[in-house]
Amino acid sequence: MNRLLYLFKRLLLAVPVFLFGITMSFMVLYLGPIDPVLNILGQDATPEDIHQLKVALGLIYQDGSTVPLWSQYLKVLTDLLTFDFGQSWIIQRGTPVGDLILNRMPVTLWLGFWSVVVALVVGIPGGLYAGLRANTWRDYIASGGGIIWRAMPNFWLAVMVVGLLSAGGLLSFYPDLWVSTDVIGTSDSVGNLFGSSQVFAGMPLLEAIWVPVPKWTNIATAIKWILPAALVLGSSSMGNEIRIGRTAVLESINSKYVETAKAKGVSGRRIVTKHVGRNALIPLLPIIMSEFYLLIGGSVLVEKVFSIRGLGNMFFRGVLGPDIPLVMALVFLFIIVQVTVNIAQDILYTFIDPRITLEDTER
Amino acid sequence: MSREETAESARDEGDPLLSVRNLQTVFHTDRETIRAVDDVSFDVYPGETVGIVGESGSGKSVTARSIMGLVDSPGEVLPESSIRFNGQELTAFSDAEYREVRGSGIGMVFQDPQQSLNPVYTIGNQIREALEINRDITGAQATKEATKLLESVGIPDAKRRLDEHPHEFSGGMRQRAVIAMMLACEPDLLIADEPTTALDVTIQAQILDLLKDLQEERNLAILFITHDMGVIADISDRVNVMYAGQIVEKASVENLFERPEHPYTRALIESIPGEHSRGEGLNTIEGEVPTPNAPADHCRFAPRCPQAFGACDKMAPQHIDVGETVEHTAACLLYPEDKAEGERLKHHRALAGGDDVKTEVSNDE
Repeated sequence: MNRLLYLFKRLLLAVPVFLFGITMSFMVLYLGPIDPVLNILGQDATPEDIHQLKVALGLIYQDGSTVPLWSQYLKVLTDLLTFDFGQSWIIQRGTPVGDLILNRMPVTLWLGFWSVVVALVVGIPGGLYAGLRANTWRDYIASGGGIIWRAMPNFWLAVMVVGLLSAGGLLSFYPDLWVSTDVIGTSDSVGNLFGSSQVFAGMPLLEAIWVPVPKWTNIATAIKWILPAALVLGSSSMGNEIRIGRTAVLESINSKYVETAKAKGVSGRRIVTKHVGRNALIPLLPIIMSEFYLLIGGSVLVEKVFSIRGLGNMFFRGVLGPDIPLVMALVFLFIIVQVTVNIAQDILYTFIDPRITLEDTER
Repeated sequence: MSREETAESARDEGDPLLSVRNLQTVFHTDRETIRAVDDVSFDVYPGETVGIVGESGSGKSVTARSIMGLVDSPGEVLPESSIRFNGQELTAFSDAEYREVRGSGIGMVFQDPQQSLNPVYTIGNQIREALEINRDITGAQATKEATKLLESVGIPDAKRRLDEHPHEFSGGMRQRAVIAMMLACEPDLLIADEPTTALDVTIQAQILDLLKDLQEERNLAILFITHDMGVIADISDRVNVMYAGQIVEKASVENLFERPEHPYTRALIESIPGEHSRGEGLNTIEGEVPTPNAPADHCRFAPRCPQAFGACDKMAPQHIDVGETVEHTAACLLYPEDKAEGERLKHHRALAGGDDVKTEVSNDE
């Protein structure tokens, strides 16, 4: 089947996924014990204020009767599908949700980018290394490390890393190791460094880096600042890559086709780069692709612990609010990323493994 | 038999292409050392087919891998072994030198064509790789040569099929492609390790015919490994029968089937299906091949041998000439046939060399 046709088919199939995801999120938010009005106005609000706000939020009609849930649901749904995300209820009352998301996106992308880089740069070579030296002490160190990285939960590791790097932590003797004093390590920890760092002070990342001239010191500071969080966020993917990579390499290197390749005189290096490499990539692909989800949506806990004011952090506060337009818009975004990554993965498969075709009726 | 004659004459002319002497390949495990190949010697002359036949676990494949230098840790080819190919001592070769021999000197076809081609590359890619490495042929020239090779192994529409992947080929076609890939290296010797075992019978016959044709065209020597006596009878000029890491009988293919001398060979031939009338049922050899983990100070077939006697457990049999024709030997204490038991044992002891400790034991008989 033509790849374009396949893409079209997959996009059609994504529609139910969108509907399901949005419906579930809506139900969880609305059926929970929420009271956005009280959260916005506080305890001392007058009944008139409350009434007005409820009307403004679309919860009741002017005459005081409740807007039916299905009607609210339809409004949320149609707004999302027409890309009308509305205004934030709580996080920044009155600000368009789209602006809020665009404002926070660069930090999350920056974090996600580095977590993917850390995972790829350590995980893939680590897995290859362990697989090629299977059952030696080097392999045990590498694959043991893989299991440990995989096993440490994000939230715990994040707390440990913050503890180590901030004031009084083990590594705080070397403040210059990771953090200049305005990064981690002050009593305010990561939180206010975000405000005080010139890099992300309210402006888009690109502006900080490229305009008017690239500020290399700023980039360096930004990298140094994000690395601990990126390591934590990428840790489990990194561990997974080491483990799956090792298994995939081992399976391939012990295969008959590698033996046959040796029998026709192929050198060891070429066996690894050509014959083992591409075959080992097949099981690694879903893990690598799932990392790209980290770019956007995987960072709620890590951003929370590191007090990084990105999308994940905002999502967390939005749910507690509840800032329903913001949360729904973010869920919508997360679903888009997830569906895109899945489709991209299935199409990529056909490029690295010729046995996989996009046909569904053949043979 | 003309094939037999050409092989005979080739042998008269000169030196063997491959000469294996005292090959010992062991596998070290935590608990024991397994002597997968234990003192095996044989020759392969240019243009002939030598068969190695034996049950599963008799060490046939390990013999082949030892010759190819493909035995990896925990396996080890012991230093007393000698593998001479084209006058070069392969056991002394470094990895890089061995790589030169693989492919362009000795090619190898494996048992399972489903798995011996890399699934993610096209057939053409894999054949061109062999051409590039062994003969420095690249580009359009390589494609042309690869097409010719595929045609020569009987794959129709070769040019188009070069661009197909292994999973688009049937089992028999895949084995043909593997053979073409090995021929791309222009080897003098082709080791075929059960190349037909995974194929059904009609395809088996086609592949055997193909190998015979290619041998004639290219004066290719073939070392053919199988457990199938029928296949051996079809393709071999000479046969080595292996049991538990050792060769127990060597003979030309005619002699082997007409006058098998070693009790194991006889049992093997008797257990070929279809050789007996239906009513008798199929003969089998009771028991199974022992794991050769102790030194060969006895006959390893003795526990399953209908003709075993006391000395068989105490003394290693030596190869004895058993036929009127040249090169028919069997390693069995029943030979030389014309001598009494005591004489025979003395003869074997003398062949083994005087310093054998086991000699004292068997003196008491």
